[in-house]
Amino acid sequence: MKNEKSPPFRLRYGFCIIVLALFGLSCHSSSPFTIAVIPRTSGTGLWEPEHAGAEEAAVHANTRIHWNAPTREDDVEGQIALVNQVVSRGYRGLVLAPDQRLALIAPVRRALAHGVPTVIVGSPLPVPAGEKLSYILNDDEAAGRMAAQRVAELLHGHGFVAVLGINPDISAVMVRARSLEMFLGESYPEIHLIKRTGSFNFLHEHQVAEETVRENPGIKVIVGMMWASGRAAISAIGETPACHAKVIAFDPDGSIPFDEPAMDSGITQDTRAMGRLAVELIDGDRHGKAMPPLIKLQPIAITRQNVNTPEIRRLLSMEWRATPWVWSTAR
Amino acid sequence: MDSYTGYYAGLRSLDNSLVVGHAEHGWMERTVNLDSTRAKIQPLQWYHLKLLAYGCEIVAEASSGAQGSLASSALSEKDCVVSGRVGLRSYAAGGVWKNVTVRPATREDLTAMLARTVTTEKTAALASPATNQERYRVGTPADQRARQPFSRTTNAQSIDSLRLFPLSKPAKATVRGSVILTSPTLFVQDSSGGVSVPHPSAPPLKIGDEVEVSGEVHPGDFSSSLAHATVQVLWAHSPVPAASVTASQAASGAFDANFVELEGTLRSKSYGPDNTLLFDLDSGPQTFRAITNRGRGDALFNNVKLNSLLRLRGICVVNAAYTRNLTPFVLLLRSADDLKVLAGPPWWNTGNLIATLVGVIALAFVGIFLYGRIENWRLRAVMEERERLAHEMHDTLAQSFAGIGFQLEAVRNGIPAELPVAHHQLDLASDLVKHSHEEARRSIAMLRPEPLLAGNLLTALESCARQMVEGGAVKIVATCSGEPRPVPLRIADTLYRIGQEAIANAVSHADPNKITISFEYEENLVHLLLADDGKGFAESENLRGFGLRGMRKRASSISAAVKIESAIGQGTRVQIAAPLPPRMTLFSWSNLLRKYLMESTHAQGFGQ
Repeated sequence: MKNEKSPPFRLRYGFCIIVLALFGLSCHSSSPFTIAVIPRTSGTGLWEPEHAGAEEAAVHANTRIHWNAPTREDDVEGQIALVNQVVSRGYRGLVLAPDQRLALIAPVRRALAHGVPTVIVGSPLPVPAGEKLSYILNDDEAAGRMAAQRVAELLHGHGFVAVLGINPDISAVMVRARSLEMFLGESYPEIHLIKRTGSFNFLHEHQVAEETVRENPGIKVIVGMMWASGRAAISAIGETPACHAKVIAFDPDGSIPFDEPAMDSGITQDTRAMGRLAVELIDGDRHGKAMPPLIKLQPIAITRQNVNTPEIRRLLSMEWRATPWVWSTAR
Repeated sequence: MDSYTGYYAGLRSLDNSLVVGHAEHGWMERTVNLDSTRAKIQPLQWYHLKLLAYGCEIVAEASSGAQGSLASSALSEKDCVVSGRVGLRSYAAGGVWKNVTVRPATREDLTAMLARTVTTEKTAALASPATNQERYRVGTPADQRARQPFSRTTNAQSIDSLRLFPLSKPAKATVRGSVILTSPTLFVQDSSGGVSVPHPSAPPLKIGDEVEVSGEVHPGDFSSSLAHATVQVLWAHSPVPAASVTASQAASGAFDANFVELEGTLRSKSYGPDNTLLFDLDSGPQTFRAITNRGRGDALFNNVKLNSLLRLRGICVVNAAYTRNLTPFVLLLRSADDLKVLAGPPWWNTGNLIATLVGVIALAFVGIFLYGRIENWRLRAVMEERERLAHEMHDTLAQSFAGIGFQLEAVRNGIPAELPVAHHQLDLASDLVKHSHEEARRSIAMLRPEPLLAGNLLTALESCARQMVEGGAVKIVATCSGEPRPVPLRIADTLYRIGQEAIANAVSHADPNKITISFEYEENLVHLLLADDGKGFAESENLRGFGLRGMRKRASSISAAVKIESAIGQGTRVQIAAPLPPRMTLFSWSNLLRKYLMESTHAQGFGQ
């Protein structure tokens, strides 16, 4: 008789087991399937299309997108905190456009160690691609050559070009700067470069642009390796009547000010496609499909001639919702 | 003196030369090597240095007492510094000055010095159009091969500017800075940043040497390197202080090839290739690695504990050849002295927490043990006091009663039989004395603890009962059932006192034929039954004076339950159920827990 367990006793043990099981399950599941998408910064014309692409793919993949980013591109600590949250909050995938190539190594490695499939977009990290890590990058060598070709056209093969905003924090910027310089050195040796390092800080870039224009008032072309430096160059030229330089700028933030005489052209990356492909890759990984180590997308030149075409307008659109807004007005 | 505008001249032992230069928050100088076969500048010797400034002509001449003039050198500038003060210094050499004289120079002095200089000079070909207003003269060196060109700062540039050198065609550059690391790669740093110099052509270098490096520039993203470089030592012992940074700052690459100091928590340590020691550290969200050579570092490696807070000084390097892309940067330590333990691992690690828990439990056991011992000591003290009282009563009160009894007997024997009233009163007094004597004996018997201390509880009570009924016809029956076990002294004493009281009540008031004393042991309970077959009492009677309140009070002190049953003519049963502490063994915990759960479940079930 003593060995028999009474019903209340069994009930108590059973309840404990159920509670423990539920607790264990809660630690390993985060439903629904959510992918964190973290661009360099939010609310900009360069990265909102990535949001649109990610949402578009999420509808088809029946997943949810957690979109968040630091409010400044130089807030590396903020982006690291967001990447760390991917693990702590149990997101099932990570799409990251890193703000700094070295500082993000450790957080991304931590996410990979927790088995989070990760896609790096925009600019690479010095972490080799693997089973859970893939890269979707702009072909920055092609972008550099594209800019170099335009510089050569504007300078007719000889003269000086100022290259501003060479930011070592972003690998993509360094790749396109090297490509531009190497292409000009090999194909147009009569074109000489004036190089300046840069950052995402617009005030700093403006100061550098002003100094460059003041020291070289006869300069004909300025290349901004980032939008902050391109925009600063346009502003500095506008403040210097004697300077009639043209500006070629990378990664424009939304609409390009072609009403400014100094603005020549922009070269951008297809962040919309990056967002869409990244979510598709993570969804494929979820269903057992191997992620390719690297996908390269071609850069897109934006000029006065093509800026109003539907393709470019869509590329620069900040509308990120997969389904259109429904508006109503009360009178 | 480190940052000024003016002219200087000096003797340098490092390259055995006379130096004349122009300082302007930097320097531009000409070195004239002495003929090393004839004169060598060395410590503990006196040299005479003469510096003349006349107009924009600067002439310097070095001589020694034994060898006469060693070398002279002159320079002139178009727009020279025409006024100022004179200063003396010994730069990192420990040299001293004596017989220092400053006086106005005359044209004749200039002419005389220049005459000595001109006799041996060759006017230096000026190096560049930028300096064509300058006129430098080189004096005495007999060995023409020893002549060195100007150390021209016109070519020297900041190390940071190397990053903007063209990539498309190789370019050469010269930088000046301080050596911050010599192995595995030479690193040189100036105020703008650091540069690596792989496989240089250099004399033996040590950390702190101020050097001039010329080589082919390979611009990097965060720092550059100078390939195929030649290194010339300018002077020694000019160490660069470490920049104190956080790991996050170091991980930005902004301090690549710089000498930095930072803190981190040691997560792992291992031996690396090429006789190196590897320390992996965490600091905030970043991880990094520190590398140092074995040797003296071995002792530190063995002693430093994981999770210690360390302060490290070393060269911050982001090159993938060192980081292997595992961490954003590594620190190349110059020696084991660059690693300092700020704090050992925190005490709240898993091992220490377990040890603390075990310690607390052990302390609790010790506390319980000590409490029991102290309680025993207290009870023993009480018993000893009772025994002392019993002896006192025996020696005083009982003896006095006996004496009074004898005296009364003597008085009665002396009173004639014709006084019956007096005899009657004496009989009453004798009875009272006898009764009081009996009471005193009984109290003494109750106070004496020997029976309890000497034997077990049942034996003690039986002995007590037999003493009380000694000489009478009352039968004492003592029984025990269950598995007898040691009873704590406090409980045993209480049961003994209750039993004594019950037996005394039976003997005094019930007039029994038989008294039964029965013990029954359960696992955590002991039952004591005291029954008599005397005349009993009605439970509604006023029982004050029977000591029942005292019994209940004693019982409550050990959480025991008392039950008294009696009826007229049917005797009395006093039952006490006293809890015993559970018997703790290593394997009894699970049973106790299980029993607790079962009992609580049953209790709930019954409650329903």
